[in-house]
Amino acid sequence: MADSDLSDNEPTTRTLLRHVLDTEAPRTPRRRQSTRAGVQRALPESPFSMRLRSQTKTTPRRQSHRARSIGRLAPHIQSKGQLKEQTPRTLLENILLTAPESSMVMPESVVKPVPAPQVVQLSSRESSPGSLDLQLPELNPPTAMAPSLLTSGKRKKRLRLSEFQQGMDQGLPLSQGPVMEPPANTGASSLTSSLNLTFATPLLPQSVQRPGLARRPPPRRAVDVDIFLQDLQDTSVATALPGDRTPVATLPTDTVLEDTQPFSQPLIGRSPSVHHSLPHPSLSAERTVSRRTRSSGPGLQNNSPEKPAQLLAGKAEKVDALAMGFPNTSNGTSAEDELKPLLDRDGEEVEEIMEESMSLDEVKEAAGAQASARAEEPEAHMEVTEAEGSWGAVEAKEPERSSRDKDAEARPELASSAPDIPQARQLEFLEPAPSTSTAGLSAEPLPARLPTRVRTAGPRLRQDPYKMGLSHYAKLFSFYAKMPMEKKALEMVEKCLDKYFQRLCDDLDVFAAHAGRKTVRLEDLELLMRRQGLVTDRVSLHVLVEQHLPLEYRQLLIPCAFSGNAVFPAQ
Amino acid sequence: MAVAATLSQRKRVKRKAPRGFLRRVFKRRKPHLHLGTRCDLLVHLNCLLFIRRLAEESRTDACKNKCGIIKDQHVLAAAKVMLKKSRG
Repeated sequence: MADSDLSDNEPTTRTLLRHVLDTEAPRTPRRRQSTRAGVQRALPESPFSMRLRSQTKTTPRRQSHRARSIGRLAPHIQSKGQLKEQTPRTLLENILLTAPESSMVMPESVVKPVPAPQVVQLSSRESSPGSLDLQLPELNPPTAMAPSLLTSGKRKKRLRLSEFQQGMDQGLPLSQGPVMEPPANTGASSLTSSLNLTFATPLLPQSVQRPGLARRPPPRRAVDVDIFLQDLQDTSVATALPGDRTPVATLPTDTVLEDTQPFSQPLIGRSPSVHHSLPHPSLSAERTVSRRTRSSGPGLQNNSPEKPAQLLAGKAEKVDALAMGFPNTSNGTSAEDELKPLLDRDGEEVEEIMEESMSLDEVKEAAGAQASARAEEPEAHMEVTEAEGSWGAVEAKEPERSSRDKDAEARPELASSAPDIPQARQLEFLEPAPSTSTAGLSAEPLPARLPTRVRTAGPRLRQDPYKMGLSHYAKLFSFYAKMPMEKKALEMVEKCLDKYFQRLCDDLDVFAAHAGRKTVRLEDLELLMRRQGLVTDRVSLHVLVEQHLPLEYRQLLIPCAFSGNAVFPAQ
Repeated sequence: MAVAATLSQRKRVKRKAPRGFLRRVFKRRKPHLHLGTRCDLLVHLNCLLFIRRLAEESRTDACKNKCGIIKDQHVLAAAKVMLKKSRG
């Protein structure tokens, strides 16, 4: 744009506006007192405004104008208490006052300090109530003065800068030769040098701050490894364990879902269902030790309930607690509900599976699963109690079991690191499942019981993932109910869901058979929902799908037309 | 086509359906039957609706008995009604 006749170097919007304001006659009369007050107000403002302005030439003019404008504003403010009069002029002035000036060429830092005092002088000079007539002459002198001001300012700035730079040179390693010297074109290079300097310093604090923001690798606990190694040695040493058997691994229970704590304390001796199934290496060592001591003592019978309890506990942190739990569990007085059925089942298992203990051992060796170890333990115990002769056999099994347990525990430990522990356990249980399913243990787990049971790998296999799936829906139930619920209620919900699944499968079977098909299709499902009263003439299946399923499933279920005359999913 | 495109943007599905679980349950009960491609999603929808109705029913039961907590007898009573309703 062409330079205004005010000979501004950069015709910024601000300068143009200013020019407009200057040339335009003010509408409101100016009052002396107000102007003086405005001037006083302007004076402290001037340095600030000067900082905002990069152009020294126009600054004095602006100062005067600002003083005048402030003076103009002052009466408004004083008289009306608020800036009620909103003329375009006042608005523009406000904008000019408040908006920071940004110059493309000249950074403000140069202009700042020097012109301020001089501008103050100017403003003071011009602050005297000036009429319109004065404006023009004021304009001229300021323009005349401006260049001199500029040069003087720059010279001063240069000097200051050079001094500063010298000081900085000594202090900072960031000395730039050419930059530091007073530049030929005065302002710019000095400014750039100052700018460089200024920019240099903040780099340091940033770099200092970086480490704080930098990501550190999460601190790993080395203790576990040490303990693990110790336990490995211990277990390798303590191969012969009388009585107490297998420490077995952790029983997967659907409590795994609920309890996310890796090492939760046992409530009383062992709280099997509540505890996380993560096996702790130290525990095995402790258990083996404790078992040795315990087995040495009388009461192998205690061991049998003890073992399953141990199994249930998964990782009972305190072996002492376990030891204490022995007598408790033997009485079945433990507070845990799960222990009772466990004990009952243990009795049943023991009676039923005694003869199968040997086969189970073999299976266990083959499978290496902990479940069978657990199952064997009670049986082994019972055997021992009943026939001392089999003691040796039990002991023979023990080393295998312990070694297997060690391996098994090592495996689950590794697996436990993975997020899905239940699945890992499921895999382990899968192995012994087929073999033990035939055992015909009282497999029918009480549907109300959570799968804390050790009973046998068979029913457990069916139960654990099944229970987990059911508990997934039970959680949804508690969400939909929006009311606090008892745990028994949740179990009841799981029972109902079980029955519901049975009915669902039967109905789908009937519908598919009616259609002469062996595959259940979407239309069977729709028919089922229609019969249930979910889908009516008013509410279609698609509406329900849209309401209750997430987007990805909706896209899969509801056919939608896409470009190219394609429909997905294809019908 | 378009489905794949959208899935790549957002790989986390909220409230996933346990498709594997449903398939396994069906296979276990009816080994001679096959379950269609997307039928398990509808089964999941069915379960959701069933549980929703069950929850509302049990909530009304609990409120009727002026209980702040849902107890298993409420759930039992509600289930009786619901299983009758969704007899199909």
